[in-house]
Amino acid sequence: MSEIRLTVNDKKRVVDVDEDTPLVWILRDTLALTGTKFGCGVGVCGSCTILENGKAVRSCQIPASEAKERAFVTIEGLSPDASHPCQRAWLEEDVAQCGFCQPGMILTACGLLHDQPDPSDEAIDAAMSDSVCRCGTYPRMRKAIRRAAALMREKKA
Amino acid sequence: MSATIGPARNRVDGRLKVTGAAKYSVEFEVPECAHGWTVESNIAKGRITAIDTKAAQGVPGVLAVLTHLNTPKFQAAPKKEERGGGGGIRNEERFPLNDDEVHYAGQYVALVVAKTIEQARQAGSLVRVSYAPEEPLLTMEAAEHKAQKPKTNHDEHVQIKKGDVEAALKDASLVKIEQTYITPTETHNPIEMSGTIAVWAGDKNLTLYDATQFVKGVQNIVAHAFGLELENVRIICPFVGGAFGCKGAVWMHVLLAAMGAKLAGVPVKVHVTRRNMFVGAGHRTPTRQTLSLAATRDGKLQAIQHLSETLTSTVGQFTESCGARSTGLMYESPAIRVEETVYPVNVSTPTFMRAPGECPGTYALECALDELSIALKMDPVALRLANHADNHPTKNVPFSAKHLKEAYQLGAEKFGWAKRNPEPRSMRDGDVLLGWGMATATYPAHKMSAAAKVQLRANNTATVQCATHDLGTGAYTAFTQISSEQIGLPFENITFELGKSDFPFGPVAGGSNSTGTVGTAIHAAAGLLHKALAELAVKDSKSPLYNLKTDDITMVAPGRIGLKTDSAKSDAYADILKRAGKESIEVQSEQKPPEENKKQAFQSWGAHFCEVKIDPLLPRVQVTRVVSVMNCGRVVSAKTARSQIMGGVVMGIGMALTEETSYDPGTGLPVTRNLADYHVPTNADVPEIEVAFVGEPDFAFNPIGARGMGEIGITGIAAAIANAVYHATGKRVRDLPITPDKLI
Repeated sequence: MSEIRLTVNDKKRVVDVDEDTPLVWILRDTLALTGTKFGCGVGVCGSCTILENGKAVRSCQIPASEAKERAFVTIEGLSPDASHPCQRAWLEEDVAQCGFCQPGMILTACGLLHDQPDPSDEAIDAAMSDSVCRCGTYPRMRKAIRRAAALMREKKA
Repeated sequence: MSATIGPARNRVDGRLKVTGAAKYSVEFEVPECAHGWTVESNIAKGRITAIDTKAAQGVPGVLAVLTHLNTPKFQAAPKKEERGGGGGIRNEERFPLNDDEVHYAGQYVALVVAKTIEQARQAGSLVRVSYAPEEPLLTMEAAEHKAQKPKTNHDEHVQIKKGDVEAALKDASLVKIEQTYITPTETHNPIEMSGTIAVWAGDKNLTLYDATQFVKGVQNIVAHAFGLELENVRIICPFVGGAFGCKGAVWMHVLLAAMGAKLAGVPVKVHVTRRNMFVGAGHRTPTRQTLSLAATRDGKLQAIQHLSETLTSTVGQFTESCGARSTGLMYESPAIRVEETVYPVNVSTPTFMRAPGECPGTYALECALDELSIALKMDPVALRLANHADNHPTKNVPFSAKHLKEAYQLGAEKFGWAKRNPEPRSMRDGDVLLGWGMATATYPAHKMSAAAKVQLRANNTATVQCATHDLGTGAYTAFTQISSEQIGLPFENITFELGKSDFPFGPVAGGSNSTGTVGTAIHAAAGLLHKALAELAVKDSKSPLYNLKTDDITMVAPGRIGLKTDSAKSDAYADILKRAGKESIEVQSEQKPPEENKKQAFQSWGAHFCEVKIDPLLPRVQVTRVVSVMNCGRVVSAKTARSQIMGGVVMGIGMALTEETSYDPGTGLPVTRNLADYHVPTNADVPEIEVAFVGEPDFAFNPIGARGMGEIGITGIAAAIANAVYHATGKRVRDLPITPDKLI
């Protein structure tokens, strides 16, 4: 067991975990932030996605030893009140069904819009197609991403 | 009553889901919770000759290692006759760790309980199991001598004989098709893996947080297994992260979690790994279906023969009745024969997966019909219409509110089907081959029973409760809408609660039954509520309804009851309660066996039209357009309904083009055990899907007029895609998935 220091949702945290522990477990079990999900453990499904400096990263692929001193944002930290443009758009377009993959999808979309504020359909497909939704919410997700991009442009204007 | 209930609503639980606040089974905080890790067999059949847990027990943090040698026997299971509707679902008819026998590869042979999951996993890897393997049966061919022909499946006859099929198939004047269609093992793979947290309070009280589609079923089975009083077993599951059928039965991990917690003396969480979702929570059996059709030259079917072969396990009887649920009811024909054969093999027990029976059955039948339409040089839609059945073709009662013809018409219009050139390889988009295909969709309307409790408060808000489930189906929203309409209060004033076995009875959220069943219970509870209010009002001298008969009183406007014959004589709920000095009143409807109507057949119908594009040089199929028109009775919640159909279509794209769980023919272990190898559709695979509803209410079915729509979306769509692929390429692929190698 080692003491690992990291920042989550702007709060400095210190956790006592095995060095190999994937970040997704630190978030879900140690810090009780269960918004980040565990769907496969091998970086394939995208439901463990969180943000680091605006970019989407897969927390099941980051061991504690590599997470130290870094700063991450989980779905709980995206906004205090579901007001982030991605969350707003997701609600407006009524995207979620079972909801389990959605935090990862929302944060993947945030990562996309951070890099490409006005993504083409091809860019949306490319960014989102490494994540899996078994309920099949993809068509509404695409609409929500375009809506979120528009909301972000309105904010800037 | 309108075709939909109120305006189209966004999901009431949407905000919880976009903020990460919705809690799923293994996420509930339980102090001092330990972790359970399973050890699986790597042989498909045989006996455990030795099991050495010494090294495992030596790992720091390990609290217990359970094997068949040291685990107390589970006590009992509900009798088969008690099950299904109310008693719980057990696809695997055995208890875990009950003896030294191995029945399938992946069977749990030990459970390690440890303080952390890494300790449990480490210890699990140190458990040494020795086996005396036997030759397993793994294929239909190998199990030929054990073939079963079950008479019924869930009270439906599955061996069907109408007229003389053999004679028609010998008739030289008829146009004939005979083909065999194959579908592989498919695995549900909801993104939330199954999981259970078991918490004992003393040795007579047990709470499970369990990812389940049937809280009351888990409650009953677990109570029997441990010899507990039903009311001392509590199952909690407010949100399910997808199920599609795999969370309906009580699988071995649930019982292991509870037993592990009992023996270790601490709460235990067992989170089924993604690997074990391929062996420990069911799957759809592979199917081999041989269709024979005979028709006159003008397209009238004279015989349909559907020979369906599927697998089950040696420790559980599961029947995927492909023929009975498609050919048995879809088209008019003087001769119909369905034969269902099930082979028990050494694999983990299959279970319901979205539209069990209908899904693979419609794939085979709708492809065969497409092949017939080509042989007849007849438009595929025209062929369906020529054989349209107003009456159930084998039960000989009329279908209630079928409206399938409207679905074909509306779908064809929206899709632009009239522009189709029927010649294969005749349509292109630049260099890319274009194909248009269609198929009929169908799913039965199942009726089960439920009860609902309503608490109405003096501030005109109400809480409604039922032990039903939201798997992403939109139940919270649909039931809030139904409650609002039936009780007579604004949508915003209703709180609908589900997912607890303490609530009044709710059946399995399966068979697309929930909206109709629970909706009917809400309707009954609302009636009782209005009666209770009436009883208060008629005794109250200050009420306009004083001294009137309660039988003459009903809800006359939102928030008001009044005289049926003169709605101006009315009283407000809030006033009635306040004057009676009551903060609230509570009523509960009775769970009664559902009213069966044998005079009609209740079935939902629809049509899929789809477009595929295929680059002739790299024959990967891209589905580029889908139009699906359904008639499922009244659409309660427009947005969630559309999502359900779209979800079914997306899953059908996977079935048609990418999904397959493969097994090692030697060991019987699945070799596909993660989401990198099992290809579920992703964003890039899915086009815009246009969904429309004919929406004619079916009040003969229930007072809500709704028939349910969770599964119909996946029926027929794989055939529509396969038919479109043929239209584009001239190549008929008869085994799914249609991967590029099959089109070269």
